[in-house]
Amino acid sequence: MKTLELVRLALSRLRRSRVRAALTMLGVIIGVASVVGLVSVGRGTTARITEQLSSLGTNLLTISPTGRTADSTLTLDDATAIAALQGLAAVAPEIETAGTVATSATNTTSTSIVGTSAQYAHVRAYDVWQGTFLSDVEADHSLRSVVLGASVASNLGLGAEAVGSDVLINGLPFEIVGILQPKGGAGFNNPDDEVLVPLSTVTQYFVGGSGVRAIGVSVADGVDMQSMKDAIAELLRVRHGIGASDTDDFQIFDQTQLLQAATTISGTLSLLLGGIASIALVVGGIGIMNIMLVSVRERTREIGIRKALGARGRDILSQFLIEAVTLSLVGGAIGIGAGLIVSALIGRLAGWGFIFDPATVAVATLFSLAVGVVFGVWPARQAARLDPVAALRYE
Amino acid sequence: MSLLTLDHVGRSYDMGHVVVPALRDVSMSVERGEMVAILGPSGSGKTTMMSIIGCLDRPTSGRYELDGQDVGSLGDRALASIRSRTIGFVFQSYNLLPGTSALDNVATPLLYQGVGRRERVARAAAALERLGLGERLRHEPTELSGGEQQRVALARALVTNPALVLADEPTGNLPRHQGEEVLRLFRELHEAGNTILLITHNPEVAAAAERRIHLLDGVVAREERAA
Repeated sequence: MKTLELVRLALSRLRRSRVRAALTMLGVIIGVASVVGLVSVGRGTTARITEQLSSLGTNLLTISPTGRTADSTLTLDDATAIAALQGLAAVAPEIETAGTVATSATNTTSTSIVGTSAQYAHVRAYDVWQGTFLSDVEADHSLRSVVLGASVASNLGLGAEAVGSDVLINGLPFEIVGILQPKGGAGFNNPDDEVLVPLSTVTQYFVGGSGVRAIGVSVADGVDMQSMKDAIAELLRVRHGIGASDTDDFQIFDQTQLLQAATTISGTLSLLLGGIASIALVVGGIGIMNIMLVSVRERTREIGIRKALGARGRDILSQFLIEAVTLSLVGGAIGIGAGLIVSALIGRLAGWGFIFDPATVAVATLFSLAVGVVFGVWPARQAARLDPVAALRYE
Repeated sequence: MSLLTLDHVGRSYDMGHVVVPALRDVSMSVERGEMVAILGPSGSGKTTMMSIIGCLDRPTSGRYELDGQDVGSLGDRALASIRSRTIGFVFQSYNLLPGTSALDNVATPLLYQGVGRRERVARAAAALERLGLGERLRHEPTELSGGEQQRVALARALVTNPALVLADEPTGNLPRHQGEEVLRLFRELHEAGNTILLITHNPEVAAAAERRIHLLDGVVAREERAA
């Protein structure tokens, strides 16, 4: 009850020196706003990365050979053996070779020619924009059909009407059966810069041998990724004759691992940004301490009067502490508001929208409370310890 | 039993290399319901004496008993509690809280007693009305005349019904007629049964009291009683 009175007292005190209060709070406002803003930018980035990675397919395992692709240890037979395992939704071996795609002598582009099966679209989460994807029939008969990646189509200036017409791949005519939806993506492997042809067509016309660049596996829903990974690894070790103590000549890459790694990295980044911003908060706290010390000085006589009227040291301590905490909390509230507005603006510009995170708001509130207490307690103690006789005589 | 008793009380200040005695050896007592003046020129130790009697300070020698309690042995918290419940201060320079309405000024001692807001406001308003300031409740000190400010201070001293009203030069800053008005109020309070201790250098003010204690160089020079 007495605390409530002291809060009332602190508020009326701050209302009487608005400019000073506002300037004092500015430090905390800037500190809290930067913490809230930067943390939400961090979260936005995380959300964006997660979204991009999951568009690559989250239940995807990619098996690739270690070492150079030229003498790949991974074969089509391995893919067939893996396909026989229980718990897989789709298996798509991939053979890759470099080549050129052309519509005429002058209009050419070089790209990756990927030989694969009809299940590739499912495994790699591709959507067809125009036409159809490769079919099993085309694969079975080694037909010269091709599905163009979005970048390849645009490089050649081909639109929707091109479906059904022919392109030349390494000089051989192929019929365009479909054009893929762009996936977008960064890094060395642009998933849009490739053309897909039936696997058997590639081995027949372009590359010999049965080595594959990778085998994409889509795990059926409800099947544990890790146990599937272990099963595939075991199968391949047996097939490749690898002993228990030898290292594998293949690696199984799990999309969720990448997702976790990326989330960890961007989480650490958010924390770092928040940490830098909290330096501003500390500086704001020092501002409060400074002003409270000045205030104790100026109000020495008032403190003396209050003591003469029966205030205990504790009453004076609470009064000044509550004043400091009020400054930091009001500053914190304004800072949270400003931080949310800033993060909404950034979110809009960057395209991940506004992410409201109650935890950030709660933490920011606690932080500003802590700043008020930590930086308010020393000036308040100074006030509480004043000798009443000397304080009353102070001019 | 006396309300307060000073028994060979001394107070000296340690200034590092010299010890300055402000009060040397004072013995006196005040009965309940008495109006006593402590009279002396500046530097005679009046203010030090008031600080000790008002429990703002402790004697460095001798014994001070207030309301049967040995004040010298008490801690800061206990002294604060005595100031809150037993003593009402009136200062020469009024010492009202700046930027605070008359009503809130008068209600402040009750806040430190832990009295609820509603009762505080009611009692503070009653005290102000009793001193003729019913129309001035919302005024801040700067909006009041010296005499009015001192009456607010008096209301503030009385609002807790203290056993002792301690006034340090209560008319020192006031024009003559306002000073006389304030003195008249002290007389009325005394007649109503309050114990009042006036501290002053002015014999005319001291004349309002029924007993006068002359202080000189930190000792009681003489005592006289009004006829």
